[in-house]
Amino acid sequence: MNPSILAVEIRDELYAIIRDPVAALFSIAMPVGMFAVFASLFGTEGNGPVSGATLMLATFGAFGVISVSLAPGIGIAEDRERGWLQVKRVSPVPVRTTLAAKVVASLPVAFGVYAAMSLTAFAMGLFDTDIGTWLQIAALLLLGSLPFALLSMAVGFVARGRSAPAIINAVFLPMAIAGGLWMPLEALPPFVQDLAVWLPTYHTSQLGLGLLTGESIVDNVAALLAATAVTAALAAIGYRSMRSK
Amino acid sequence: MTEVVTIRGLDHRYGETHALRGVDLTVAAGECVALLGPNGAGKTTLVGALTGMLAPSAGTARIDGADPRRPATRRRLGVVHQSAGFPRTLTVHELVAGWAIRAGRRGSDADAILAEVGLLDLTKRRATELSGGQQQRLQLAMALVVDPTLLVLDEPTVGLDIDARRRFWATLAARRDRGTAVLLTTHQIEDAAAVADRVIVLHEGTVIATGSPADLTAQLPDRTVTARTALRGSELRALPDVLDVTVADGRMRATSARPEATVRALLAADPTLDDLRVEGATLEQAIVAMITQESQEVTA
Repeated sequence: MNPSILAVEIRDELYAIIRDPVAALFSIAMPVGMFAVFASLFGTEGNGPVSGATLMLATFGAFGVISVSLAPGIGIAEDRERGWLQVKRVSPVPVRTTLAAKVVASLPVAFGVYAAMSLTAFAMGLFDTDIGTWLQIAALLLLGSLPFALLSMAVGFVARGRSAPAIINAVFLPMAIAGGLWMPLEALPPFVQDLAVWLPTYHTSQLGLGLLTGESIVDNVAALLAATAVTAALAAIGYRSMRSK
Repeated sequence: MTEVVTIRGLDHRYGETHALRGVDLTVAAGECVALLGPNGAGKTTLVGALTGMLAPSAGTARIDGADPRRPATRRRLGVVHQSAGFPRTLTVHELVAGWAIRAGRRGSDADAILAEVGLLDLTKRRATELSGGQQQRLQLAMALVVDPTLLVLDEPTVGLDIDARRRFWATLAARRDRGTAVLLTTHQIEDAAAVADRVIVLHEGTVIATGSPADLTAQLPDRTVTARTALRGSELRALPDVLDVTVADGRMRATSARPEATVRALLAADPTLDDLRVEGATLEQAIVAMITQESQEVTA
């Protein structure tokens, strides 16, 4: 993969996220704003030495990182509908480079959302972890968002530009709530708690929570690997469907 | 002359539809070839195969001897589509410079090209804020910034005003004169007649005619006879070898298979005849006649 070409592709995709006010509102401002509200209400209720606000960096952090990771699918659907993907297909850039750039470009933005939430917790005096753990949580959340990026791409390959965000959010938001990203699972009905262990959103947040509370994350990693395999297969099917049209 | 485009036995099916039937076609360096034909003739499929967007069912399409399905082959391929659907978030300069880098050239090449197409004053504007004509010039800039050996233009001047069209073709002619091969598809046959060195007529996936615009029009014996006359429509229709007649404001316009016979009879029938003219067939008339004849032969 030519580094100069990849750099241009990533730059263009980065601009697509940060220069689009609607995308910036829903992917960046909304998760950070929700974190600020929930942290101010429940941020002092913690688990042992770790404050609630810091634990929320794992749960709301997962919500924020995943929200940004959905951008590639929405971008693909828009590019397809507008005809831009067709223009790109006759360029010397392999399609896989364009798709990889969409995912890579979302990473710094996702990290920025996580960092903004952390600064909010810090400003509230509720940031209870060291920089090493904080960076590890960030890395795990970014890796844990991969199945969602693939799922969004699967939708983006087949859905219309305007309906893709609606479809993606219709899938993601219930998964976020039922997976315990907005509120602790204990606060949700028992059937939702039973459902949560089947949702990748739950396992992504557990990666960060495990680091903060010292619990094992092996099962969560295994579950996310399985989710990645399934969503990669869906994305491949969607891609073939798009190419055949 | 160096062959830039080489298409041999190109065949493609979409399910039951046979879009291309063994098409052979070449375009040399410095040559402009217009691919003409009605909707469904197979033009878009041929362009898709040539630009690497689809794998043909059979046959080969090559650019400079290489398979356009390989991304590296498309490094010096410039394409202008009917519309590009630019992203809302990129400026004119970002798009052209980015396209240069994708083709392995320098981003700084963009300024000279933007000046060539007349967009240097709009470099910081978002592409989606440009007018339709400006967007086509932007597409042309992206196509030219790769220093193309082949330019593929798919209905490039739809929606452009006369001035913008003239400027578009002038830029293109300059590139062709510098050795770029050009393959053009258009429904604006007058444009094709003006800029193309060679015309290829495609009908139902088959090449039915090829030659220079002058050669193709010469194949059609019909001529248009116009004059000011006192004769009525029914009298004009009765003249020898007249195929079709219209009369408006005392001026007749007749298509004749043998204009000499028609003119002789016209002069004899109307001593007051004035402003007589005989014109050759247009390229459009020639192509319509070829397609009609081809359809009749297939039906028979």
